[in-house]
Amino acid sequence: MSAIFSIEDMCVSYGREKIIHGVSLSIGAGELCALLGLNGSGKTTILHAACGFLPMTGVCTAAGQDCSGLNEKKRARLISFIPQVCSMRGGITVMEAVLMGFNAHLGLFGSPSRAQKQFALDTLERLGYASFKGRDFGTLSQGQKQIVLLARCLVQNAPVMLMDEPDNALDFLNRHMVLQKIREVLRTQQKAGLITLHDPNFAMNYCDRLLLLKSGYLVGEIKMKGASREELEKKLSLIYGAIEVFSFNGNFFMGQVQETETSPLFTKLC
Amino acid sequence: MPYPSRRQTVLLFAIVILLNLAVAVVSIFVGKYQIAPDEILALLMGGDTVAPMSAKVFFTLRLPRTVMAFLAGLGLGLAGSAYQVLFKNPLASPDIIGVAGGANLGAAVAVVMTSSSIPIMTLGAFWGGLAAVACVMLLVKATNSHSTSTYVLAGIVINAISKAMIMTLKYFADPENELAAMEYWEMGSFSNITQSKLLSILPMFLMGLIGLLLLRRQVQLMGLSDNECRALGVRLRPVRAAVLILSTLLVASIVSVTGLISFVGLIAPHTAKLMLRRNNSITLCLSGLTGGLVVMASDIFARTLYSAELPISILTTVTGVPLLLYFMCIKRGPHERNFFY
Repeated sequence: MSAIFSIEDMCVSYGREKIIHGVSLSIGAGELCALLGLNGSGKTTILHAACGFLPMTGVCTAAGQDCSGLNEKKRARLISFIPQVCSMRGGITVMEAVLMGFNAHLGLFGSPSRAQKQFALDTLERLGYASFKGRDFGTLSQGQKQIVLLARCLVQNAPVMLMDEPDNALDFLNRHMVLQKIREVLRTQQKAGLITLHDPNFAMNYCDRLLLLKSGYLVGEIKMKGASREELEKKLSLIYGAIEVFSFNGNFFMGQVQETETSPLFTKLC
Repeated sequence: MPYPSRRQTVLLFAIVILLNLAVAVVSIFVGKYQIAPDEILALLMGGDTVAPMSAKVFFTLRLPRTVMAFLAGLGLGLAGSAYQVLFKNPLASPDIIGVAGGANLGAAVAVVMTSSSIPIMTLGAFWGGLAAVACVMLLVKATNSHSTSTYVLAGIVINAISKAMIMTLKYFADPENELAAMEYWEMGSFSNITQSKLLSILPMFLMGLIGLLLLRRQVQLMGLSDNECRALGVRLRPVRAAVLILSTLLVASIVSVTGLISFVGLIAPHTAKLMLRRNNSITLCLSGLTGGLVVMASDIFARTLYSAELPISILTTVTGVPLLLYFMCIKRGPHERNFFY
């Protein structure tokens, strides 16, 4: 699988404090990779540096182009991004919010064309949100907002999609729906996806590869295709400590090993 | 309360445009020099039966004054709306980055140096406004932090310096002539507007106006966080600088001939947002039209309420506050509080 997105020897510092220490990774077409790690391990920092929000050393390449010298517009044509928290407020419709995704493909004074508006509507339709197009963005729940952000990211139509906990604030069903849609889009449109997730169970079941991050270092990598329960348990315990991995119907689940008064050792499902 | 439909939005725009036209018509009939309505109609139709003095007063003073009042409101409303989105601050108005403060200082310096020569005051105010924003941009560059809060802080610094210098000039100014001229300029007035003044500021004004309208989609995107803007491909620094420069041209060209006009840049965007219940690029246009309406109506009151002409800033406040209060009191959903950044 040829790499569409790659990072080589990325280092990021906040002032004098080094946060990311020489991280390298590459993602192929149609592949969804999860960045897993505890809070403060540097997951969001890696995404922000790759998007050009933070200064970094090393090389970041998307669709064969070195992103370091690119301005915001050129970079946005290669990399789209879903933030953890959306800064968009009310006062605009869902359709207007989605149309913002076309900005990288429009001139400074341009407006979305009829065909682009239809594409935006089709994208909302694919996500099951076509009926929301006239709704005020501010009236949506946090989960619904995340789905609109996903639609905005999809109309941006960049070969690389970076997603910072897009399932943040989604309910159980919507979380499955969003991750399924993301995987489907990446596969059908042959895009590369890098997603940060807090729940390893969702990562194991929806992602092709897991990248394990601890204190700014990439400490392991798991290819889900052909991965054994033992391998998962061994590698995931590098960042999560005492854990146990189960297999059920071909899917993996992780639980935390805990000691209590009644049961000296039991596994609590995450 | 639901969004107004496309039809209701068009209707709202039509009403505001018609109100503007109605107020403009009233405005050209009002003035100290009596011109009969049939004379005005004849002049507008291009007739040459009207007394030369009436024609001269109408074309060099009355009509330019009405046009200037509309343009001033339009420009301040548009610039205010752009500033509120750009700085993500509902209290932002054209003086947030020091345009008004700089223009005030420029005019005050002109008063002291040229003994209240009006053309020099106009030039002083215009260049003062531009110089203040240039200083803000230099300060931002010096700090190497290009966030919106840095612009606001730099604006506060430049405003404070301008204020201190104006106070010093006032302290040493001749109280009968220079101090009175400075105070009067700060309260704003359309009494000195002539055709030549209007034409002199028109190129700068149109440059700012057309530029801002063309950039309306970028202005809307600037309401997002800096990182989200970048991720969507907004050229943050050049676009922000362009919006600031264009709105500065707009505001500086207005206040250089009218003096300071308070409150319009703040209330016109809010009134437009409350009427439309939206905060998008259409709101930017409606803010301008609302501003035009408020300033033209205020100018009519300024000419008619008292035997001497009243300063415009008193009237813009008196006219604007009830309008804003009315739309604030209309019952609306809790989510609609969200878009007042």
